[in-house]
Amino acid sequence: MILRAAAAVFVKDLRTEWRTRVALNALLLFAFSVLILVGYAVGPTRLSLEDRPVVNSVLLWIVLFFSAMTGLSRAFVNEEETGTASALRLSAPPAAVFLGKLLSNLALLGVVMAFVVPLFLALMSFGIAAPGLFLAILVFGAIGLASASTFIAAIVAKTAAKGALFAVLATPLLLPPLVAAVTGTRVAATEPDLAAGLDAVRLLFAFDGIMITASFLLFDAVWRE
Amino acid sequence: MRLVAEKLCRSFGPRKIFGPLSFATSPGKVLGVAGANGSGKTTLVRTLVGLIRPSSGSVWLEDESLPASRISVRESNGSIGWCAPDLALYGELTPSENLEFFARVSGRPIPREEAERRIAEVGLDPKRLRTIRTRFLSTGQRQRIKLAYAVLGSPAVLFLDEPGSNLDEAGHRAVEAIVTAQRNRGSVVLATNDPLELALADERVTL
Repeated sequence: MILRAAAAVFVKDLRTEWRTRVALNALLLFAFSVLILVGYAVGPTRLSLEDRPVVNSVLLWIVLFFSAMTGLSRAFVNEEETGTASALRLSAPPAAVFLGKLLSNLALLGVVMAFVVPLFLALMSFGIAAPGLFLAILVFGAIGLASASTFIAAIVAKTAAKGALFAVLATPLLLPPLVAAVTGTRVAATEPDLAAGLDAVRLLFAFDGIMITASFLLFDAVWRE
Repeated sequence: MRLVAEKLCRSFGPRKIFGPLSFATSPGKVLGVAGANGSGKTTLVRTLVGLIRPSSGSVWLEDESLPASRISVRESNGSIGWCAPDLALYGELTPSENLEFFARVSGRPIPREEAERRIAEVGLDPKRLRTIRTRFLSTGQRQRIKLAYAVLGSPAVLFLDEPGSNLDEAGHRAVEAIVTAQRNRGSVVLATNDPLELALADERVTL
């Protein structure tokens, strides 16, 4: 029942997003602007060879983090602003709402990553020595960003200063996974051995597990009160 | 299934909105909630459906055959239906997509034909609305879709808050038809200022 309801919320969100493209346009436009700015201001040639992995890893995750901040908070804000949240509260189990929203935010972030990451690698001539590790970091990093953003979006949706509060709550919560993602990306760029970056993958995996479990446990209270 | 409210109160800070109120709905009956603008009708209905927590007192559903069986309104799983001015459906979905969505998330999926039948029951032409998103409908048409949403799960208790707002004469007849049909499967809580709608009520709570 919960999985079917979550699938319905996910499909509904994708359908409405496809018809309006509000969040997708905001995310892609922001990501594209920052990419161009980074490519122009920093570029591949202005960095020394030894600095490149560190600086490029930080820049890549800054672009992804702020893109997530731009669009993913819309998950619940839209429902509250348009007045549909009440009908959803009465009709759907809270766990299904959270899971559906998490999946739609993950899909949105997946599209942004599919756009940003190849462009960033090309623009910055950023070579990856361990593609498998890099992919794992991207996947677990995206799950961490999406799960934390979805839960915080539910908290701030009913407040007056949504944007500011979203950033205030998200930044400290997302610092540990971002540090792990940056470290993992740097290792993936320099070490061809997959095992070298396993610590970062483990940390991201643990964060994702804790975040998703805590969100499921707390979401009922956040959503209904 | 009947709804019971016991010593129900709601305040926002020092401002008391209503209460204490005690009442119960009876199957086949319509409970009217009357009161001037700002008297707290909408807040009372939102409290009864579980969208607002009462400041004190309690509200629950119980099976008439098992008076001791208290079911929280929040856990009633489709036993209640709600239509109110502050309820909104998804503007980017068509009316039938909206009904199909809410049926699916509440665990009782319906096919497209059933959704269209429900739309026809509130006096709209489902074929004409097939490709029109809900946000492009008139306020009155949207109100009718909200009425179709309210009775979607064949609820035991139907809450109608100003159901005739923005409706033409045919729309008012649709409201009457919904209330009449609901008497056969449960009870109705009808909050309104309209004397004609209040005339449908068998019992009355005045705020």
